[in-house]
Amino acid sequence: MRFRFCGDLDCPDWVLAEISTLAKLSSVKMKLLCAQVLKDLLGDGIDYDKVTKLTADAKFESGDIKASVAVLSFIFSSAAKHDVDSESLSSELQQLGLPKEHTMGLCKSYEDKHSALQGKLRETSLRLGRLEAASWRIDYTLSSSELREVNEPIIQLKLQTQGAESGSTETTVVSVSADKFRVLLAELKQAQTRMNALQ
Amino acid sequence: MLLVLSEDHKEHLSFLPKVDSAVVGEFGRIALEFLRRGTSPKIYEGAARKLSVPVETVQHGVEGLMFLMTESSKHMISEVDFLDSVLVLGFGEELNQILLQLYLQHHAQIRSILSQLPSNLPAYHNLEWRLDVQLASRPLRQQVVPTVTMRLLLAGGGDGGCSSRVLQTDPSSLLHLISTLEAALAAMKTSHARRIFRNIK
Repeated sequence: MRFRFCGDLDCPDWVLAEISTLAKLSSVKMKLLCAQVLKDLLGDGIDYDKVTKLTADAKFESGDIKASVAVLSFIFSSAAKHDVDSESLSSELQQLGLPKEHTMGLCKSYEDKHSALQGKLRETSLRLGRLEAASWRIDYTLSSSELREVNEPIIQLKLQTQGAESGSTETTVVSVSADKFRVLLAELKQAQTRMNALQ
Repeated sequence: MLLVLSEDHKEHLSFLPKVDSAVVGEFGRIALEFLRRGTSPKIYEGAARKLSVPVETVQHGVEGLMFLMTESSKHMISEVDFLDSVLVLGFGEELNQILLQLYLQHHAQIRSILSQLPSNLPAYHNLEWRLDVQLASRPLRQQVVPTVTMRLLLAGGGDGGCSSRVLQTDPSSLLHLISTLEAALAAMKTSHARRIFRNIK
Protein backbone atom coordinates (compact mmCIF):
# COMPACT_ATOMS: atom_id res chain seq x y z
CA MET A 1 0.00 0.00 0.00
CA ARG A 2 1.44 3.30 -0.99
CA PHE A 3 0.94 6.28 1.24
CA ARG A 4 1.43 9.87 0.24
CA PHE A 5 2.71 10.97 3.60
CA CYS A 6 5.47 8.35 3.34
CA GLY A 7 6.48 9.71 -0.05
CA ASP A 8 4.47 7.20 -2.11
CA LEU A 9 6.21 4.30 -0.44
CA ASP A 10 5.03 1.61 1.96
CA CYS A 11 4.46 2.68 5.51
CA PRO A 12 7.34 1.43 7.74
CA ASP A 13 6.41 -1.48 10.01
CA TRP A 14 7.35 0.32 13.18
CA VAL A 15 4.95 3.17 12.38
CA LEU A 16 2.11 0.67 11.99
CA ALA A 17 3.00 -0.93 15.30
CA GLU A 18 3.21 2.35 17.20
CA ILE A 19 -0.07 3.70 15.82
CA SER A 20 -1.83 1.10 17.91
CA THR A 21 0.14 2.37 20.94
CA LEU A 22 -1.05 5.90 20.18
CA ALA A 23 -4.66 4.72 20.07
CA LYS A 24 -4.39 3.86 23.78
CA LEU A 25 -4.21 7.55 24.68
CA SER A 26 -7.37 9.60 25.01
CA SER A 27 -7.90 12.04 22.16
CA VAL A 28 -7.43 15.09 24.41
CA LYS A 29 -4.08 13.84 25.70
CA MET A 30 -3.16 12.96 22.13
CA LYS A 31 -3.70 16.55 20.99
CA LEU A 32 -1.53 17.84 23.85
CA LEU A 33 1.17 15.32 22.96
CA CYS A 34 1.03 16.49 19.33
CA ALA A 35 1.54 20.07 20.52
CA GLN A 36 4.63 19.01 22.47
CA VAL A 37 6.11 17.09 19.53
CA LEU A 38 5.47 20.03 17.19
CA LYS A 39 7.22 22.34 19.64
CA ASP A 40 10.23 20.01 19.52
CA LEU A 41 10.25 19.86 15.72
CA LEU A 42 10.15 23.65 15.52
CA GLY A 43 13.25 23.80 17.68
CA ASP A 44 11.79 24.87 21.03
CA GLY A 45 12.72 21.68 22.83
CA ILE A 46 10.41 19.11 24.37
CA ASP A 47 9.32 18.98 28.01
CA TYR A 48 9.66 15.34 28.93
CA ASP A 49 8.04 15.80 32.34
CA LYS A 50 4.84 17.04 30.69
CA VAL A 51 4.94 14.16 28.25
CA THR A 52 5.36 11.65 31.07
CA LYS A 53 2.40 13.18 32.89
CA LEU A 54 0.26 13.04 29.75
CA THR A 55 1.01 9.39 29.15
CA ALA A 56 0.78 8.34 32.79
CA ASP A 57 -2.96 7.66 32.50
CA ALA A 58 -2.48 5.15 29.75
CA LYS A 59 0.36 3.60 31.80
CA PHE A 60 3.02 3.97 29.14
CA GLU A 61 6.45 2.62 29.97
CA SER A 62 9.53 4.60 28.99
CA GLY A 63 9.85 2.56 25.78
CA ASP A 64 6.25 3.38 24.82
CA ILE A 65 6.75 7.09 25.51
CA LYS A 66 9.82 7.22 23.29
CA ALA A 67 8.03 5.26 20.60
CA SER A 68 4.97 7.52 20.54
CA VAL A 69 7.13 10.67 20.38
CA ALA A 70 9.12 9.09 17.55
CA VAL A 71 6.07 8.07 15.53
CA LEU A 72 4.46 11.52 15.88
CA SER A 73 7.72 13.20 14.83
CA PHE A 74 7.89 10.92 11.82
CA ILE A 75 4.29 11.57 10.77
CA PHE A 76 4.59 15.36 11.08
CA SER A 77 7.99 15.77 9.43
CA SER A 78 7.24 13.28 6.66
CA ALA A 79 3.88 14.87 5.88
CA ALA A 80 5.45 18.35 5.78
CA LYS A 81 8.30 17.02 3.64
CA HIS A 82 5.98 15.67 0.96
CA ASP A 83 3.57 18.60 1.27
CA VAL A 84 0.53 16.49 2.11
CA ASP A 85 -2.68 18.40 2.84
CA SER A 86 -4.46 17.57 6.06
CA GLU A 87 -7.45 15.87 4.33
CA SER A 88 -5.26 13.21 2.71
CA LEU A 89 -3.21 12.82 5.89
CA SER A 90 -6.42 12.28 7.84
CA SER A 91 -7.75 9.61 5.48
CA GLU A 92 -4.39 7.80 5.28
CA LEU A 93 -3.99 7.72 9.06
CA GLN A 94 -7.51 6.36 9.45
CA GLN A 95 -6.64 3.65 6.90
CA LEU A 96 -3.70 2.72 9.10
CA GLY A 97 -6.00 2.29 12.06
CA LEU A 98 -5.74 5.51 14.07
CA PRO A 99 -9.20 6.27 15.53
CA LYS A 100 -11.17 9.17 14.09
CA GLU A 101 -10.95 11.62 17.04
CA HIS A 102 -7.19 11.12 17.32
CA THR A 103 -6.78 11.67 13.59
CA MET A 104 -8.84 14.85 13.70
CA GLY A 105 -6.80 16.24 16.60
CA LEU A 106 -3.54 15.37 14.86
CA CYS A 107 -4.57 16.90 11.54
CA LYS A 108 -5.81 20.09 13.17
CA SER A 109 -2.40 20.56 14.87
CA TYR A 110 -0.71 19.72 11.58
CA GLU A 111 -2.73 22.27 9.66
CA ASP A 112 -2.00 25.02 12.19
CA LYS A 113 1.73 24.50 12.09
CA HIS A 114 2.04 23.38 8.47
CA SER A 115 3.82 26.42 7.09
CA ALA A 116 5.99 26.90 10.20
CA LEU A 117 7.14 23.28 9.91
CA GLN A 118 7.97 23.66 6.24
CA GLY A 119 9.89 26.86 6.98
CA LYS A 120 11.91 25.08 9.65
CA LEU A 121 12.64 22.15 7.33
CA ARG A 122 13.69 24.58 4.61
CA GLU A 123 16.15 26.20 7.02
CA THR A 124 17.72 22.90 7.99
CA SER A 125 18.21 21.79 4.37
CA LEU A 126 21.76 21.16 3.31
CA ARG A 127 23.65 24.41 2.78
CA LEU A 128 27.39 24.46 2.30
CA GLY A 129 29.35 27.47 3.43
CA ARG A 130 26.84 30.15 4.37
CA LEU A 131 27.91 33.80 4.36
CA GLU A 132 27.48 35.02 7.90
CA ALA A 133 28.74 38.59 7.85
CA ALA A 134 30.47 41.02 5.52
CA SER A 135 32.22 44.19 6.61
CA TRP A 136 34.27 46.71 4.65
CA ARG A 137 36.59 49.62 5.05
CA ILE A 138 37.98 52.10 2.52
CA ASP A 139 41.57 53.25 2.87
CA TYR A 140 43.43 55.87 0.88
CA THR A 141 47.03 54.92 0.15
CA LEU A 142 49.25 58.01 0.27
CA SER A 143 52.65 56.56 -0.52
CA SER A 144 54.59 53.29 -0.46
CA SER A 145 58.13 51.94 -0.59
CA GLU A 146 57.82 51.56 -4.37
CA LEU A 147 56.37 54.96 -5.29
CA ARG A 148 56.33 58.19 -3.31
CA GLU A 149 52.93 59.52 -4.38
CA VAL A 150 50.38 56.72 -4.74
CA ASN A 151 47.08 58.49 -3.87
CA GLU A 152 44.71 55.60 -4.52
CA PRO A 153 41.63 54.39 -2.67
CA ILE A 154 41.49 50.72 -1.73
CA ILE A 155 38.71 48.73 -0.13
CA GLN A 156 39.23 45.99 2.47
CA LEU A 157 36.52 43.37 2.60
CA LYS A 158 36.16 40.95 5.52
CA LEU A 159 33.87 38.00 4.80
CA GLN A 160 32.83 35.60 7.56
CA THR A 161 31.61 32.31 6.20
CA GLN A 162 30.63 28.98 7.64
CA GLY A 163 33.16 26.50 6.28
CA ALA A 164 31.74 24.02 3.78
CA GLU A 165 33.36 20.90 5.23
CA SER A 166 34.08 21.89 8.80
CA GLY A 167 31.00 23.92 9.66
CA SER A 168 32.96 26.35 11.80
CA THR A 169 33.38 30.05 11.05
CA GLU A 170 36.13 31.03 8.64
CA THR A 171 37.26 34.58 7.99
CA THR A 172 38.54 35.78 4.63
CA VAL A 173 40.08 39.22 4.22
CA VAL A 174 40.52 40.62 0.72
CA SER A 175 41.73 44.00 -0.42
CA VAL A 176 40.34 45.18 -3.76
CA SER A 177 41.42 48.13 -5.90
CA ALA A 178 38.81 50.61 -7.13
CA ASP A 179 38.57 49.30 -10.73
CA LYS A 180 38.40 45.65 -9.72
CA PHE A 181 35.78 46.53 -7.17
CA ARG A 182 33.67 48.27 -9.82
CA VAL A 183 33.76 45.09 -11.91
CA LEU A 184 32.85 42.97 -8.88
CA LEU A 185 29.93 45.25 -8.02
CA ALA A 186 28.60 45.26 -11.61
CA GLU A 187 28.71 41.45 -11.84
CA LEU A 188 27.02 41.01 -8.47
CA LYS A 189 24.28 43.44 -9.50
CA GLN A 190 23.66 41.40 -12.65
CA ALA A 191 23.42 38.23 -10.57
CA GLN A 192 21.00 39.98 -8.21
CA THR A 193 18.74 41.04 -11.11
CA ARG A 194 18.60 37.43 -12.29
CA MET A 195 17.79 36.20 -8.78
CA ASN A 196 15.00 38.75 -8.42
CA ALA A 197 13.57 37.67 -11.77
CA LEU A 198 13.22 34.15 -10.38
CA GLN A 199 11.42 35.10 -7.16
CA MET B 1 39.93 -26.87 24.74
CA LEU B 2 41.92 -26.25 27.88
CA LEU B 3 43.30 -22.91 28.95
CA VAL B 4 47.01 -22.84 29.60
CA LEU B 5 47.80 -20.38 32.36
CA SER B 6 51.24 -18.83 32.64
CA GLU B 7 53.25 -19.05 35.85
CA ASP B 8 52.76 -15.36 36.63
CA HIS B 9 49.06 -15.74 36.17
CA LYS B 10 48.93 -18.73 38.52
CA GLU B 11 50.89 -16.81 41.09
CA HIS B 12 48.50 -13.87 40.89
CA LEU B 13 45.52 -16.12 41.29
CA SER B 14 47.07 -17.99 44.24
CA PHE B 15 45.85 -15.09 46.39
CA LEU B 16 42.24 -16.13 45.89
CA PRO B 17 42.02 -19.27 48.10
CA LYS B 18 43.37 -17.29 51.04
CA VAL B 19 40.23 -15.16 51.29
CA ASP B 20 36.69 -16.34 51.84
CA SER B 21 34.14 -16.85 49.12
CA ALA B 22 32.21 -13.61 49.70
CA VAL B 23 35.40 -11.71 48.98
CA VAL B 24 35.97 -13.74 45.82
CA GLY B 25 32.47 -12.82 44.67
CA GLU B 26 33.25 -9.18 45.37
CA PHE B 27 36.49 -9.43 43.40
CA GLY B 28 34.52 -10.95 40.54
CA ARG B 29 32.22 -7.94 40.53
CA ILE B 30 35.18 -5.53 40.59
CA ALA B 31 36.78 -7.45 37.72
CA LEU B 32 33.64 -7.11 35.60
CA GLU B 33 33.33 -3.39 36.37
CA PHE B 34 36.96 -3.12 35.25
CA LEU B 35 35.97 -4.57 31.91
CA ARG B 36 33.05 -2.24 31.51
CA ARG B 37 34.43 0.98 32.83
CA GLY B 38 38.08 0.72 33.76
CA THR B 39 39.43 0.59 37.27
CA SER B 40 40.19 3.04 40.02
CA PRO B 41 43.04 2.61 42.55
CA LYS B 42 40.71 3.62 45.42
CA ILE B 43 38.81 0.35 45.13
CA TYR B 44 42.03 -1.64 45.41
CA GLU B 45 43.25 0.41 48.36
CA GLY B 46 39.96 -0.03 50.22
CA ALA B 47 39.98 -3.79 49.71
CA ALA B 48 43.67 -4.05 50.66
CA ARG B 49 43.07 -2.18 53.89
CA LYS B 50 40.12 -4.39 54.84
CA LEU B 51 42.04 -7.60 54.16
CA SER B 52 45.37 -6.24 55.46
CA VAL B 53 47.38 -7.30 52.42
CA PRO B 54 49.49 -5.14 50.09
CA VAL B 55 47.63 -3.26 47.36
CA GLU B 56 49.53 -5.07 44.60
CA THR B 57 48.31 -8.46 45.74
CA VAL B 58 44.72 -7.29 45.50
CA GLN B 59 45.34 -5.68 42.13
CA HIS B 60 47.01 -8.80 40.74
CA GLY B 61 44.26 -10.98 42.10
CA VAL B 62 41.54 -8.92 40.43
CA GLU B 63 43.44 -8.59 37.17
CA GLY B 64 44.22 -12.31 37.15
CA LEU B 65 40.55 -13.08 37.66
CA MET B 66 39.56 -10.71 34.88
CA PHE B 67 42.08 -12.23 32.50
CA LEU B 68 40.80 -15.72 33.31
CA MET B 69 37.26 -14.62 32.51
CA THR B 70 38.15 -12.88 29.25
CA GLU B 71 40.27 -15.77 27.99
CA SER B 72 37.53 -18.28 28.79
CA SER B 73 34.85 -16.13 27.13
CA LYS B 74 37.08 -15.48 24.12
CA HIS B 75 37.41 -19.20 23.37
CA MET B 76 33.85 -20.05 24.45
CA ILE B 77 35.09 -22.81 26.75
CA SER B 78 32.56 -25.37 27.93
CA GLU B 79 31.93 -25.91 31.66
CA VAL B 80 33.94 -29.12 31.83
CA ASP B 81 36.95 -27.55 30.15
CA PHE B 82 36.75 -24.51 32.41
CA LEU B 83 36.74 -26.70 35.52
CA ASP B 84 39.66 -28.74 34.18
CA SER B 85 41.67 -25.59 33.44
CA VAL B 86 41.00 -24.20 36.90
CA LEU B 87 41.93 -27.52 38.54
CA VAL B 88 45.54 -26.85 37.59
CA LEU B 89 45.57 -24.00 40.08
CA GLY B 90 44.83 -26.41 42.92
CA PHE B 91 41.93 -24.49 44.41
CA GLY B 92 39.27 -26.06 46.58
CA GLU B 93 36.01 -27.40 45.11
CA GLU B 94 33.93 -24.49 46.44
CA LEU B 95 36.21 -21.88 44.88
CA ASN B 96 36.09 -23.73 41.57
CA GLN B 97 32.31 -23.67 41.66
CA ILE B 98 32.26 -19.94 42.43
CA LEU B 99 34.57 -19.25 39.50
CA LEU B 100 32.42 -21.42 37.27
CA GLN B 101 29.24 -19.57 38.29
CA LEU B 102 30.96 -16.24 37.64
CA TYR B 103 31.97 -17.43 34.18
CA LEU B 104 28.54 -18.79 33.25
CA GLN B 105 26.67 -15.70 34.38
CA HIS B 106 28.82 -13.19 32.62
CA HIS B 107 30.35 -14.75 29.54
CA ALA B 108 27.69 -13.41 27.18
CA GLN B 109 28.27 -9.87 28.44
CA ILE B 110 32.02 -10.23 28.24
CA ARG B 111 31.75 -11.45 24.65
CA SER B 112 29.65 -8.46 23.66
CA ILE B 113 32.17 -6.07 25.25
CA LEU B 114 35.04 -7.84 23.51
CA SER B 115 33.27 -7.64 20.15
CA GLN B 116 33.37 -3.85 20.31
CA LEU B 117 37.12 -3.69 20.80
CA PRO B 118 38.65 -4.05 17.29
CA SER B 119 38.72 -0.70 15.52
CA ASN B 120 36.06 -0.20 12.93
CA LEU B 121 36.03 1.26 9.50
CA PRO B 122 33.89 4.37 9.36
CA ALA B 123 30.25 3.40 9.04
CA TYR B 124 27.27 5.13 7.49
CA HIS B 125 25.52 7.50 9.83
CA ASN B 126 23.41 9.89 7.74
CA LEU B 127 23.11 11.33 4.25
CA GLU B 128 21.79 14.84 3.52
CA TRP B 129 21.23 15.89 -0.06
CA ARG B 130 19.94 18.75 -2.16
CA LEU B 131 18.99 19.09 -5.82
CA ASP B 132 20.14 22.31 -7.49
CA VAL B 133 19.87 23.71 -10.99
CA GLN B 134 22.53 26.10 -12.22
CA LEU B 135 20.81 28.76 -14.32
CA ALA B 136 23.61 31.17 -15.13
CA SER B 137 27.23 31.85 -14.37
CA ARG B 138 29.50 34.80 -14.96
CA PRO B 139 30.79 33.64 -18.37
CA LEU B 140 27.57 32.02 -19.60
CA ARG B 141 23.90 32.92 -19.13
CA GLN B 142 20.84 30.80 -19.91
CA GLN B 143 22.05 27.42 -18.72
CA VAL B 144 20.26 24.46 -17.20
CA VAL B 145 22.67 22.21 -15.26
CA PRO B 146 21.11 19.98 -12.59
CA THR B 147 23.41 18.88 -9.75
CA VAL B 148 22.92 16.77 -6.67
CA THR B 149 25.00 17.83 -3.65
CA MET B 150 25.36 15.37 -0.78
CA ARG B 151 26.87 15.42 2.67
CA LEU B 152 27.77 11.94 3.85
CA LEU B 153 28.12 11.64 7.62
CA LEU B 154 30.20 8.74 8.91
CA ALA B 155 30.44 7.48 12.45
CA GLY B 156 33.23 5.67 14.23
CA GLY B 157 36.38 4.91 12.31
CA GLY B 158 38.90 4.54 15.13
CA ASP B 159 38.93 7.92 16.81
CA GLY B 160 35.16 8.11 17.16
CA GLY B 161 32.93 11.07 16.43
CA CYS B 162 31.33 11.96 13.14
CA SER B 163 33.28 12.82 10.03
CA SER B 164 31.61 14.29 6.98
CA ARG B 165 32.35 14.21 3.28
CA VAL B 166 30.79 16.60 0.80
CA LEU B 167 30.12 15.15 -2.66
CA GLN B 168 28.57 16.45 -5.83
CA THR B 169 27.25 14.53 -8.79
CA ASP B 170 25.16 14.99 -11.93
CA PRO B 171 21.98 12.98 -12.39
CA SER B 172 23.41 10.34 -14.73
CA SER B 173 26.25 9.48 -12.31
CA LEU B 174 23.66 9.35 -9.56
CA LEU B 175 21.60 6.83 -11.54
CA HIS B 176 24.73 4.74 -12.09
CA LEU B 177 25.52 4.92 -8.37
CA ILE B 178 21.99 3.78 -7.51
CA SER B 179 22.12 0.84 -9.92
CA THR B 180 25.55 -0.27 -8.61
CA LEU B 181 24.30 -0.19 -5.00
CA GLU B 182 21.15 -2.11 -5.96
CA ALA B 183 23.29 -4.73 -7.70
CA ALA B 184 25.33 -5.03 -4.49
CA LEU B 185 22.13 -5.60 -2.49
CA ALA B 186 20.95 -8.17 -5.01
CA ALA B 187 24.23 -10.06 -4.63
CA MET B 188 23.06 -11.09 -1.16
CA LYS B 189 20.24 -13.08 -2.75
CA THR B 190 22.39 -15.21 -5.09
CA SER B 191 22.58 -18.94 -4.43
CA HIS B 192 26.30 -18.70 -3.59
CA ALA B 193 25.67 -16.16 -0.84
CA ARG B 194 22.68 -18.13 0.47
CA ARG B 195 24.77 -21.27 0.72
CA ILE B 196 27.33 -19.46 2.86
CA PHE B 197 24.68 -17.93 5.14
CA ARG B 198 23.08 -21.32 5.67
CA ASN B 199 26.40 -22.79 6.77
CA ILE B 200 27.20 -19.96 9.14
CA LYS B 201 23.84 -20.30 10.90
